[in-house]
Amino acid sequence: MPWLTALIIIPAFGALSMFIVPEGGLVQARIQAALAAGLTLVLSAVMLGHFDRSASHPQFVEHAGWATSVGLDWSVWVDGISIWLIMMTTGLFALAILYLCFRTPERPRAFLALILLAEVGLLGLFSAGNLVLFYVFWEVMLLPFYFLIGMWGGQGRALATMKFVIYTMVGSLLMLVSIVSTAVIAHETTGVYTFDILALRNVAYTRPESIWLLAGFLLAFVIKLPLWPFHGWLPDAYRTAPIVVVGLLAAIVSKAGVYGLLRIGLPLFPRGMEFFQYPLILLSLISIVYGSLVAWRQPTMRMLVGYSSLAHLGLIALGIAAIDAQAAQGAVLQMVNHGVVVVAAFAIVGIISARSGKEEIDDLGGLAAGAPWLAGVFLVVTMASLAIPGSNSFAGEFFILAGVFRHDWWAAAIAMIGVIYASVYMLRLYQSSMNGPQRGGDARRVELRLRDVVVLVPLIGVMGFIALWPQALIGAISASVDNAVAPAQVAVGRPPSEIHGIVLPNPPSAALPLPTASSTEDSAQ
Amino acid sequence: MNVVAATPPMIVAGTAVVSVLAGLLPGRWARREGPTVLAIIGLLAAAVMSLVLWGNRQVALGGGYRADRLSMLFNLIFIGCAIATLLLSVREPAGVDRRGEYAALVVTATAGMILVAGAGDLITIFLGIEVLSVALYVLCALELWRERSLESGLKYLIVGAVGSSFLLYGLAFLFGATGSTNLTTIGSQLTVASFNTEPLLWVAVTLIIVGLGFKSSAAPFHMWTPDVYEGAPTPITAFMATATKAAALVAFLRIFAAPLVDLVHTWQIAIGAVAVASIVVGNVAALVQTNLKRMLAYSSIAQAGYLLIGVAAGSVRGAQAVLYYLLAYSVMTMAAFAVVIIREREVEDGEQLSSLAGYGRDRPFLGIIMTLAMLSLAGFPPLSGFIGKFLLFGAAAEQHLWWLAIVGAVGSIVSLGYYLRVVGVLWFGQAATDRPRKLLEVPAPVILTTAACGVAIIGFAAFAGVLLDVCQQAALSLLAP
Repeated sequence: MPWLTALIIIPAFGALSMFIVPEGGLVQARIQAALAAGLTLVLSAVMLGHFDRSASHPQFVEHAGWATSVGLDWSVWVDGISIWLIMMTTGLFALAILYLCFRTPERPRAFLALILLAEVGLLGLFSAGNLVLFYVFWEVMLLPFYFLIGMWGGQGRALATMKFVIYTMVGSLLMLVSIVSTAVIAHETTGVYTFDILALRNVAYTRPESIWLLAGFLLAFVIKLPLWPFHGWLPDAYRTAPIVVVGLLAAIVSKAGVYGLLRIGLPLFPRGMEFFQYPLILLSLISIVYGSLVAWRQPTMRMLVGYSSLAHLGLIALGIAAIDAQAAQGAVLQMVNHGVVVVAAFAIVGIISARSGKEEIDDLGGLAAGAPWLAGVFLVVTMASLAIPGSNSFAGEFFILAGVFRHDWWAAAIAMIGVIYASVYMLRLYQSSMNGPQRGGDARRVELRLRDVVVLVPLIGVMGFIALWPQALIGAISASVDNAVAPAQVAVGRPPSEIHGIVLPNPPSAALPLPTASSTEDSAQ
Repeated sequence: MNVVAATPPMIVAGTAVVSVLAGLLPGRWARREGPTVLAIIGLLAAAVMSLVLWGNRQVALGGGYRADRLSMLFNLIFIGCAIATLLLSVREPAGVDRRGEYAALVVTATAGMILVAGAGDLITIFLGIEVLSVALYVLCALELWRERSLESGLKYLIVGAVGSSFLLYGLAFLFGATGSTNLTTIGSQLTVASFNTEPLLWVAVTLIIVGLGFKSSAAPFHMWTPDVYEGAPTPITAFMATATKAAALVAFLRIFAAPLVDLVHTWQIAIGAVAVASIVVGNVAALVQTNLKRMLAYSSIAQAGYLLIGVAAGSVRGAQAVLYYLLAYSVMTMAAFAVVIIREREVEDGEQLSSLAGYGRDRPFLGIIMTLAMLSLAGFPPLSGFIGKFLLFGAAAEQHLWWLAIVGAVGSIVSLGYYLRVVGVLWFGQAATDRPRKLLEVPAPVILTTAACGVAIIGFAAFAGVLLDVCQQAALSLLAP
């Protein structure tokens, strides 16, 4: 039974099924969308149940031909890294659909179809086993967001969509050149023309090749993340997009960039990563500091959470760029944590601004008096967001900082400042909206209702689960992360005691089946 | 003489004669619909013959015409484009009163293209290109009451003649350098002697590139394209953008990828430079267009650049990529023009981008087709345009032409600026409120053709495996002795 393929296709059928919904068939559209998203969630949960957590090798491997002669194949699998991202994606999309079922947007059929299509893109991306498929899904996920922002966005949406698409496409088309070149160079060194990510791990590129090939990928990844200074699309898109879309962008789409680093950057181009390690660390640090500072000064709630997300992603990227197994494990854990927390934060922001009609932080105040339940939930989310010890984010951030500290204590120190600063802006948001004199009308209006509770309770539950038992995730993540990081660890000369993963015959060029002119040139360096 | 091998051009040429005569028949229906119906029947017969002849090379007309896999594949492209053009022309003002000429000229141009694709001889190449050009000169100017149309025909005539003369001069030099007009003989002559330093050959290569550059509307020989595309009746523009481009490209392949393939280093840079110029000029100029036909004209210049990347690679993979991309390009361009044709009949300024504002919400079906066409032209996966670009960049990278692949990618990024603008206007745009929304009944053949093109954009991607095998066989037949 092709579980994984089914998982990717079900939301696609859900999206197509919107075509058969008659005009005005609101209930039918909701039921179909909820069915598709729910079925996907159940299926992914079943897969998680069958997942062998101790293994590092790919699981649920599925192959099918497409245009095999030119290296295009349907090849999907999951490992300890992607299974969690897939779980997160299916869970958060199910909640997003649930949220939308209670607050139907204009033209609901198209909206729901596009959301489901975005889910297809992300699920495919996280399970793609070859570079071309990775690229295909990378682009497929862009398209629904383009339409979602363009058709349902607020003021300034035309500029926002244009910026969003052009930024991301600049990265991705150069990534296409890199993908093609990777296969061509691998073909010249090994005699096999393939885009298979696992097979390409065995190829040793010369240092310049590795650097140039990685450069194409890296640009796409840091734009998607985004890292400073590639975040130009972010403010406009976050400001104008519907809140559900912003939540999904911040929670899941941004993880695609990190996932690319971990899936392609580190294992395939270790020597390129060695070259780009410090530039990446630097950009991550700037993102942390910049995101924190800008978040502090934001006038609206959604932009504050949006920029805080920029800072958090900087920290996650730092965990990958540190080239340390522990930091990378922390980064993967933090990817899931951040996804859950940021969606909860945006959900609360959405509830408050929808009911009170106000987005500006200064227009709100003292809401806790009339809406104690909301305030309580918001406090939990705030604490999780600033990674207070005992919260779910604490474990992830601690792992990242500990791993970074081992090699670059100064980077950990700077990152720490950013983490501390998170409490400044998050508490500002909480205090000024929940405490103090009452502003923004009757606070009782914003109190949680059943429709909010059904969305927030699962999120809080997951936060609590991870806070109490992070090992449940880390245990399954570590083997895969060790393997992903190992080649880069060798390339940057980490001591063998730190390298737990299987190191493939990469980079020693002697292990190649067909030594060529380029590999001899390499050894001369 | 192998008559069977020469049936496709003969059937098509015969069809042209029959359909022009049908226009003279008594009876209103026969006069108005007869030529189109007869033309389509004839073209279908030629398509069937092309499928029958699919196989190893057969030679006819004393070596002047080759029926091999390459020419048969191109026959199908040309015939497909011609039938689509004829169907889209149903109730087109240009053809209403002179259906006979209209259908016959389209078929004549197709016959010329079929000759180019099957050329085994320099003479056939030139003959084919002239036949198709002359037919198109007339077609462009067929809307006699519109000044733009007349201007378009005249411009195309003058520039086309210049291009033809360059081509003819180049072919003459090639003949002078090798002493033969037969492509096979030229190939063997060039492998025997070292012509690398032969100035005659340099001149010949340069002139041929210029001549074919005019025909394929590659920069810097593209100046005529926007004006001609804008002025010509829109179905004819669609025909020129698809089939004529394919004919020019097959001429490139027949000359450069076969007999001159061993001298790849003498012409690779030149064709690469033309490709780069086309990609840059086409994409940048398209950004500022407000007229859809002009925008598609510049886009077709850029697309010619992408296609030339595959020619410049000078490999079987390159030729395969060109063939696949031509297939994909034909359907996506045809789909885009089809939507313009439909819109043009609804409103006065239907070729303006602004006339499409909010059109996707009024007519979701056409909106989706146009969106598919634009996204595919921009190279969005998993549509066929993406697979084509992927193959072209791959072919360039394989020959270590990294710069070509990178320019192609950067060009694609720029192209998003205008392709996505169309998509944005379609779905996000607000239609002017003072104008009543006018949605006419679209004739069934037009809507069917549009739908078929839209389906093909997806289908060519879904069945890429099969198509690529076909394209590879066709590409290999270029090099067959």
